[in-house]
Amino acid sequence: MPDHTSKDQTSNGMQCNEFDALLMDAIDGVLSGTQLHRFQVHAGSCKACGPLLAEAEAGRDWLKGLTEVEPPASLVTNILASTTGVDTQRLRATVRTPQPRISWLERAQAWLFGSLEPVWATVRQPRFAMSFGMAFFALSVGLTVVGVKPADLAQISLRPAAIRHMYYSTRAQIVRRVDNVRLVYQVQAYVREFKRNVAPAEPGPAKTKDKKNDTTQQPEQKQERNYSQTENHLILASAPLGPFLHDLPVVSVTTYRRLS
Amino acid sequence: MEDVQVVAMLVRRCIAGDAAAWEEIVHTYNRRIYNICYRFAGSGNDAEDLTQEVFIKMYRTLPSYDHTKGAFVTWVTTITRNLLVDHFRKTKQDRMTDSMDATSSEHEDSQPLSEQIQDQSAPPDARVRSREVSETVHAALVKLSPELREAVILRDLQDMDYKEIAQVLKVPEGTVKSRINRGRAELARLLQRTYRQVM
Repeated sequence: MPDHTSKDQTSNGMQCNEFDALLMDAIDGVLSGTQLHRFQVHAGSCKACGPLLAEAEAGRDWLKGLTEVEPPASLVTNILASTTGVDTQRLRATVRTPQPRISWLERAQAWLFGSLEPVWATVRQPRFAMSFGMAFFALSVGLTVVGVKPADLAQISLRPAAIRHMYYSTRAQIVRRVDNVRLVYQVQAYVREFKRNVAPAEPGPAKTKDKKNDTTQQPEQKQERNYSQTENHLILASAPLGPFLHDLPVVSVTTYRRLS
Repeated sequence: MEDVQVVAMLVRRCIAGDAAAWEEIVHTYNRRIYNICYRFAGSGNDAEDLTQEVFIKMYRTLPSYDHTKGAFVTWVTTITRNLLVDHFRKTKQDRMTDSMDATSSEHEDSQPLSEQIQDQSAPPDARVRSREVSETVHAALVKLSPELREAVILRDLQDMDYKEIAQVLKVPEGTVKSRINRGRAELARLLQRTYRQVM
């Protein structure tokens, strides 16, 4: 701050404090009229304030000559690397080219079409037309057999209880239909008859039980003797095929023909 | 200078994790921040480091920005100024050993200030001469006290109005004006003294 004297402070009706307060406005060029005149008179007469105005103006002019400095080319990259930690070359390209606003629906469609395009390109070939026709036919027949009607779909309730109820009722309906099909009955009857025809050579369950409970560790001679004593011709032994074959006793049969 | 709504939207996008929005902010403000740092610190290397620190701090504190309290550029400048003051305090001891003739920047020739002024009229090319004058003024600016320097930089180099400067420096507008006047006058005296010395 300049060293003001008491004489300078009151010269021309303006004090140095007031001059200091108006200095910035004067340099900015916003002072006018009487105020500007008083300011200029004080600046010309005050030994302290006059040089202060000149220095302030000179300093401003010096600073005007300072031009903006160009930052290093790597600055932005370094900043982005130190903040986000990613290489943003790709993002830089997207930022500089303004993109039109895209709604979420268009974005979803674009994503859907983009991901399905390879599949669709394969599928729409003519050679698959018959396959898709057959698949559609089979699906529609299947739905008709099950009893699904397109009109019913609109009335479906999505409450958990309703879904559970629909699941169990549909399942029961399917089981009932399958069980009531006449073809099933016929197949079951054929199977039973076939089993019955095969059954005579099958050892009875009581024998198997006896064998299982046999703790005497005796060989199968008793059974062998029975066969040889009762029959004088060749005897064919048979055992039923089935999953419990390994539980059956191993039987060795020897036959003797009498030549009398 | 900035559309408040646009900047507010940019900041919101950035807070939401939009990397492109953050990059846009960096592109928009890096030049300004770098220049403030360069004029205050005086060194290109320091300015680069400080600019990065400013952006790191900005990135972390971005959610605290409230566009109703002031312009984004003022907020950014406040962060920059606070960081520069911290940096000044940390490196105060180093600068106390400097003399007026010491080189303050790698952007300048490796000559003391007096030699730079002496050579001012030597180069025939006006462009080169202008650059040398700028470097001379820059060297003198760095020698100002930090209070005067920051006020002068924000007013004369960043074209901020007094209200914004008062907001950044957290002082009354009258004080801002006084500091700017004193800073300009001090700069002129410094350059005149150096100029007389070399004459």
